[in-house]
Order: sequence, then C-alpha cells, then structure tokens
Amino acid sequence: MIDIPLPPEDEEDTLAAEYVLGVLDLADRTAAEARAKAEPAFAARIAAWEQNFAELNEGYADAPAPNLLPQIEARLFPQTARPQFNWFRLFRAAGLLAALLLALALVMPRNAPDFVARLATKDATLAYEARFDDGRLTVTRVAGGSAESGRVHQLWIIAPGEAPISLGLLAGTDLTLDYPLPPPGWLLAVSVEPEGGSPSGLPTGPVILSAQVGA
Amino acid sequence: MAGGGDGGGDIPHGCLMMPRMTEDPIAPLLVRVAAQDRAAFRDLYRATASKLMGVLLRILAERAEAEDALQELFIRVWLRAGRYDSDRGRGMTWLIALARNLAIDRIRARRETTSDDKSMEAVADTAPRAETRMVAMGEARRVSDCFATLEPAQAEAVQGAYLAGLSYVDLAARHGVPLNTMRTWLRRSLVKLKECLER
Repeated sequence: MIDIPLPPEDEEDTLAAEYVLGVLDLADRTAAEARAKAEPAFAARIAAWEQNFAELNEGYADAPAPNLLPQIEARLFPQTARPQFNWFRLFRAAGLLAALLLALALVMPRNAPDFVARLATKDATLAYEARFDDGRLTVTRVAGGSAESGRVHQLWIIAPGEAPISLGLLAGTDLTLDYPLPPPGWLLAVSVEPEGGSPSGLPTGPVILSAQVGA
Repeated sequence: MAGGGDGGGDIPHGCLMMPRMTEDPIAPLLVRVAAQDRAAFRDLYRATASKLMGVLLRILAERAEAEDALQELFIRVWLRAGRYDSDRGRGMTWLIALARNLAIDRIRARRETTSDDKSMEAVADTAPRAETRMVAMGEARRVSDCFATLEPAQAEAVQGAYLAGLSYVDLAARHGVPLNTMRTWLRRSLVKLKECLER
C-alpha cells in the first residue's frame, strides 16, 4: 500500500492529509476513521489538515437548497417533541396505534413489505420486528417485555462507519415513523437508556439488539 | 466569543496565528444547537444550507442525492454540534468538513459496495481531545502560499481532489497514469505542502 518510504511521523501525517483530501478508497478511509477514533494524536492531525485546507472551501459555489427542515425535523424528533414529559400519553398513543394497525392489518389485503428484519436476543426472549414498507418503518415488539422501570429501549439506525442516529423510544410495543428503506449495510440497533431516552444523543447504555437492514 | 484562555499564549508558532473568531456568525448558532435549541437549528439551516448544498452537489453530482445528503447532514449537525469547538476553527469550516466527509463516504460506498461490520464501532464517542486544538491553532502559514511551492499541475490535482472529492482511482484515470504513480505523485505534493506549512 505504501509506495514511498517516509519517516513514520510523515507517513502518519500524509495519511491524515490523504484522508482529509478524500482520495483514499473505502477500505483505507474506513481504517483511517477507525484510527482517528482510537488515537487522539491522529485525530489532531486530521483536524489540523482540515484547517490547512479550509481556504479551499472558498472554491465551493452556493447552490439553491430547498427547505428540507420539515423532513429533517420529522426524522430527528419523531412522534413527540419531549417524550420524558408525556411518557404515558406516548405509551397510550403507541398502544392505540398498535391496535389500529392490527385492525387495519386484519382488514386490508396484505402487500408484502419492502423489508423485514428481526432483532432478537440469542435466546429469543426479547425480539423486535422491523418492517420497512412504502417509506414507513414500523418496529414492533414480538417477544419479551419493555425495559425495566426507569429505563427505556431506544431505537437507533447506523450508516456504515457513522455514529448512530436515534429513531425514537420503544416505550410501548410499537414505533412507527417515516423512514425510507436504507441501502445495504445499515444497522438497526436497540440500546437500554434512562427514561426519556439517551441524554447525549448517542447510545449510553448497552446495545442489546442489532440487525442489518437495507436493500 | 471564543474565549480560549487555556494556553492560547503557549502556541509554539504563533506569529501568524489565525485571528480570533470574532466575526463568525455560525459559531454561536452551533453552540446553541449543541444546547438543543431548535430555533437556532432553523437559523443555522437558513444561514448555511445553500453553501453546504454547493459542497454536496459538487461531490455527489446528483441533485436528488445531494438533497438526501443535506437532510442527513443536518441530522448529524444536530447530534454532533456539541463536538464543535469555536477555538479550533470557524463554524463554517466545521460544517463543510462534516459535509465533505458525508459526501465522500457516500461516493466511496456507492462505487465499491462492500459490507462492513465496523458500524457498531461508531457507538464509541469520537469527540476529539483538547490537544487537537493546539495543533489546529498552531497552523500558521496560509495554505495558498504553500500551493505556490508546488508544480502547477500538482497544485491543481490537490485542489481538484479536495473540491470534487476525487479518489486516487479517479485521479489516475483523469491524468492517464497508473494508480501507484498517481498516489506517489500526490503524496509527494502533500509532503511538500506540509514542509512549507511547517517552515
């Protein structure tokens, strides 16, 4: 992989520059990202090159951007604005929604969903089923109970190499939101978080379930 | 607003230090977004979406994909704004770095569809440490001065790669040279740039 021998320090710094420049292939890029997470010194080199090259950003022309805030906010704040305050209402609403969906499911002729994944523990005592269908994602608990008192199951989606994004709390048995079927290699995961959800925006508790999704 | 009392005077090559970030309207918005301020999030979108759309469109080339990436970008901005540190650079620089990384990851993944199991590693917190700041602030010399020390074709290749998010494979095809030649050539340019920046 390495073509010109460089002193180790230059080697590392050049790799950081290559990463920031964006010339690495996927495998090398992923490796560099992993290294930045593990080694603060390497992350610092990346940050330095980002500043070095920042002047080149003037070369990017503005492009008209549509107002995508409604979609962004719908993905960031699904269902409810502040789950910690209307916990029981959310629970009831989720139950009602589940009942409604079940009734609909029984009445309507069924089309096969776009993608179904099962997130289950090894012994299958806890399982959720994730169903992507026509731009909607429905996650239903099909085995086991909700998290212990004072805790909640939180659903995350993770793009390859990226930080998890919260899709919401699995407070009841069911969570439905607008979410398109992602490309292959994405993960759905469930972590155990304090009531009201992760305070940091990233999983803080153990990740208990995960499954690959996407097509 | 960039207080930066922690060691600002200890920066080794401080003669040409970046000016304090007093004229950065984006930085305070990011600080408010980090505190979950949704009004600031909307203001930030309105202030930066067209520049960031320009970045995403340049790299991804397709408007539909760029719009999709713009949504994802702002989701990340909401979740990661807490990692922005106004002492380390301008708000827009941070946003553009985020946008470029997102877009480049997408085109690399698009071209070499591979499955990887590394996704869960992302669960670890990736906030950079304090020492990052020192390195970033210590970079004194402007990169444009240093581009002048490269052959024009080299400078153009580096700048073109940066702006369009080209890979070594893309660059080799564009310049009609073998991949390894391209890599060696570009790495030499980067070493030269670094030598200049450190002088």
